[in-house]
Amino acid sequence: MKSEYDVVVIGGGPAGLSSAIAAAQDGAQVLVVEREAQLGGILKQCVHDGFGLTRYGEALTGPEYAERDIDEVRVLGVEEALSTFVLEARGVDCGVELTLSNRDGIHHVKAAALVLATGCRERTARQIQIHGDRPSGIMTAGCAQNLVNLQGMLPGKRVVILGSGDIGLIMARRLTLEGAEVVGVYEAKKKVSGLVRNVVQCLDDFGIPLHLSTTVTRAFGRERLEAVEVCQVDDTLRPIAGTEELIKCDTLIVSVGLIPENELAASLGIEMCQQTRGPLVDQGFQTLAKGIFSAGNSLSVNDLVDYVSEGGARAGHAAAAHALGTHQRAKNLIRVDVGERLSSCVPQLVDLNGDLSRVVFYLRSDGDYPEGRVIMRSGSRELAYKRLKPVHQAETIRIEADLTELDGDILAMLI
Amino acid sequence: MNLKRLRRELRKLDAGIVASERDGCVLLEGEVDDYATAFAAGKLAVDKDRYLGVLNDIKVRGFEQKVSLPAESDHSLDGVKCDVLVIGGGITGCAVARELRRHQLSVLLVEKGPDVASGQSSRNGGVVHVGVNFSKGSQKLRYCVRGNAMYRKLAHDLHVPYENKGQVTFARTKVEMLALEYVHRTALDKGVVGTKVMDRDELRKVEPSVPEWSVGGLFMGTGGITSPYLMTIALAENAVENGATVALNTAVLDMKVKDGLIVEVSTNRGTIRPKAVVNAAGVYADVIAQMADDRTFTIHPRVGTNIVMDKKAGWMVNTSMGKTPFTLTPKQLEDVPADLFSRAKAMVASASSHTKGIALIHTVDGNVLVGPNADEVPDREDTSTSREVVEKILRSQQEVQGAVSASDIIAYFTGVRSPTYEEDFVVRPGIRTRNVFEAAGIQSPGLTAAPAIAVDIASWVCDYLSDAMDVLSNKSFNPVRQASPVLAGLSLEERDLLVHENPDYGEIVCRCEEISKGEILDVLRSPLPVYTVDAVKRRCRPGMGRCQGAFCLPAVMRIIADEAGIAYQDVVKGDSRARIVFGPTKEGKGTLL
Repeated sequence: MKSEYDVVVIGGGPAGLSSAIAAAQDGAQVLVVEREAQLGGILKQCVHDGFGLTRYGEALTGPEYAERDIDEVRVLGVEEALSTFVLEARGVDCGVELTLSNRDGIHHVKAAALVLATGCRERTARQIQIHGDRPSGIMTAGCAQNLVNLQGMLPGKRVVILGSGDIGLIMARRLTLEGAEVVGVYEAKKKVSGLVRNVVQCLDDFGIPLHLSTTVTRAFGRERLEAVEVCQVDDTLRPIAGTEELIKCDTLIVSVGLIPENELAASLGIEMCQQTRGPLVDQGFQTLAKGIFSAGNSLSVNDLVDYVSEGGARAGHAAAAHALGTHQRAKNLIRVDVGERLSSCVPQLVDLNGDLSRVVFYLRSDGDYPEGRVIMRSGSRELAYKRLKPVHQAETIRIEADLTELDGDILAMLI
Repeated sequence: MNLKRLRRELRKLDAGIVASERDGCVLLEGEVDDYATAFAAGKLAVDKDRYLGVLNDIKVRGFEQKVSLPAESDHSLDGVKCDVLVIGGGITGCAVARELRRHQLSVLLVEKGPDVASGQSSRNGGVVHVGVNFSKGSQKLRYCVRGNAMYRKLAHDLHVPYENKGQVTFARTKVEMLALEYVHRTALDKGVVGTKVMDRDELRKVEPSVPEWSVGGLFMGTGGITSPYLMTIALAENAVENGATVALNTAVLDMKVKDGLIVEVSTNRGTIRPKAVVNAAGVYADVIAQMADDRTFTIHPRVGTNIVMDKKAGWMVNTSMGKTPFTLTPKQLEDVPADLFSRAKAMVASASSHTKGIALIHTVDGNVLVGPNADEVPDREDTSTSREVVEKILRSQQEVQGAVSASDIIAYFTGVRSPTYEEDFVVRPGIRTRNVFEAAGIQSPGLTAAPAIAVDIASWVCDYLSDAMDVLSNKSFNPVRQASPVLAGLSLEERDLLVHENPDYGEIVCRCEEISKGEILDVLRSPLPVYTVDAVKRRCRPGMGRCQGAFCLPAVMRIIADEAGIAYQDVVKGDSRARIVFGPTKEGKGTLL
């Protein structure tokens, strides 16, 4: 490891890998810092297929998808610091200084540009107020996925899954294939959170029942889990008294949402977006802290890895341009607001010194609708337009806009 | 009250309750429909002047205590003779075992759970109490004050985190300030030093988070915080370092008492023959005392839930703070009629609840604990939590710190306190049985009191044993625990040196709490290694952070399996039945294998 790099990427998952590749392609000296012993991030444990449909036009498994980027990283001569953990990051003149820990010692590394690709974590059973006893057998879907796919261990025999997000649905299928009985998938909301294709392929095909507007409220069992109490919920997602039902099971897997990991970003004082829980960024994914970029699920939680890679590459190119001095951000940034029926938008800002001809925005709707039209406007000018049928809250809306001629702040809406 | 009057009063509660006098105690028997009645009867029967204590054997229809016993069953302790058998690996038992090893005595501690600090010793707020709220002449006051004074040195010797930032109670009105002035004046009389009544401005210097409605309060300088489970574990480890033996997953099932002496103690691991027995059995202390024919009290379980907040919320409190027990917050007042009588009634009701009014605690780890409540329950092992209680605690503590928010919750836990009906400790040599020593009825301030209780118990045990043998002092006793490094407390230079010595300290396993593989291995190589996920979690925190172990559990299990030389699927959460995985998957291999 050297003491200085043009670009340091924190996180060796899909976002970090794409950033590193893009920055290296542009001639930057790049270091990827990865906490685990291998690159690939969460893709390592996603052995199901369906990755890369948009980017490659083929359905790859997680490890296969990651392998392509890892190969590219190695061809380009990106340096890797594996099993290496970031202890501290602090802004210094023209860049960021990082303190790293690994088996060789404590290291100080300076980066002219930093890409935060730290991924996300799962909400836990405790955070969603599952009460009762605290036996073994209650875990998040990602943890169960690690145990099954990386450790080769069966975490349960009779399983209840709470949450119909993609990881929950995929784990329902995976555990069934591995010989466990999945008693049911429960979802507090009125609608499934995951992709439609996952409901069909992971539940319907295996006859696993899905219970909507129902949540798990209590766990029972002194040592290993013995049963859970499920309960119907009202419109505000509060349990309805009298609807309790006891389900015998030895495992409860919770898949109830992902939270961007931004503890490092917070320690750098980076300004956050309330909707995405990630940093506010411009179209090069530069945060409001100069020279610090954000990509992947730590920027905003994605449904498709293909978008993660696309965004990661954008951050990598921009980080290289910043580090190599070929790009200076404009003093004033244009705001992108979300209007009707949209819940979030990335990027939230536009840098007028950046590329304006084909800016990609990733939007999320605030609910499911049979159809809709996404419109982006700046003053009286229409920048982008897209028809959608149907609109799913769970799916990212990707839209390209030409921003070469603007008329003030930008508004995105779904009508 | 005398028996006749008590019987009359009890009849009003339930005609099925029979009261009688036995061995200097008042005995209640019969069967009732609900626990509240049985509890109320026990409370009614308290008369400290007339009786040694209440023996409440009233049965509640439909309730039977389920005692969780270890799955293990062997003969590993069969025929073992020891000078002292300590029953219970909570803070009291561990402190006693350590104290006893200052003498050349063979000490065996048995604990029914899979680890020490399995009960209330790991399920409390970690406050080192001051003692002002205990009445003069009570054991609680005596041991709290003595224990408090011992804490700094003890924590230092054992390398356990301890902070002495004080404790604060807030008053809302001038009248309440006068009441606090009274508390302050009586404190010295009770042996409590370092209290001061402060106005709002002065108070803010020690506790920046004084609530809007508070005019000031009482600062108690001797108040502190520690980690209750680390303290218990450290006491146990230091006891073992000094030659004591700790047997986990070992439950006392029965005793043979002959001519006022315990001669045999049977366990799930065989029959032990101790010369003396210390009862530090927590919520089951009365059951053990009964076996020893020395019962003069009854434990009535009282649960309390604490909420753990993210370290991000750490700024919300600097000390341990709460309102005074009799203070009604503005929100509470909304529900009370404005007349003086109603207010006084509400204040008395508030003051007689069994928590010390501690609302928010800044823990030694930097998290905030919010709680606890206090509810009487029949089940001595009911550590379950409920949404209602968590929401109630949040609502009431938001009155003290408005920033308390559900979104900062990372965990919550319930502990079962073990009070007697007399609401005091029972620390004494046996009354009918000469070789038993009681350390019972220990609830809050038990964490504070334990070191002082241990001194007295050890001294009584030595006195008793010296009648029949020479009790020599143990010259090689070392009160200082061999502690392993805590990386978070080191400078980067120190860390770098350490990693060069041992690269495992450079490999971070738990990302939320930044715990290295080296620290986990240290825990597994300690004088009292416990090869479970929970044991590792309590000792060095992987799994205690915001992801609650979702990321590091598989890795921690791998380290435990390798170090203990067991199969991955045999790594359990705590109890040996608390399996985490059921063995290899159908395909039988993970990509890492």
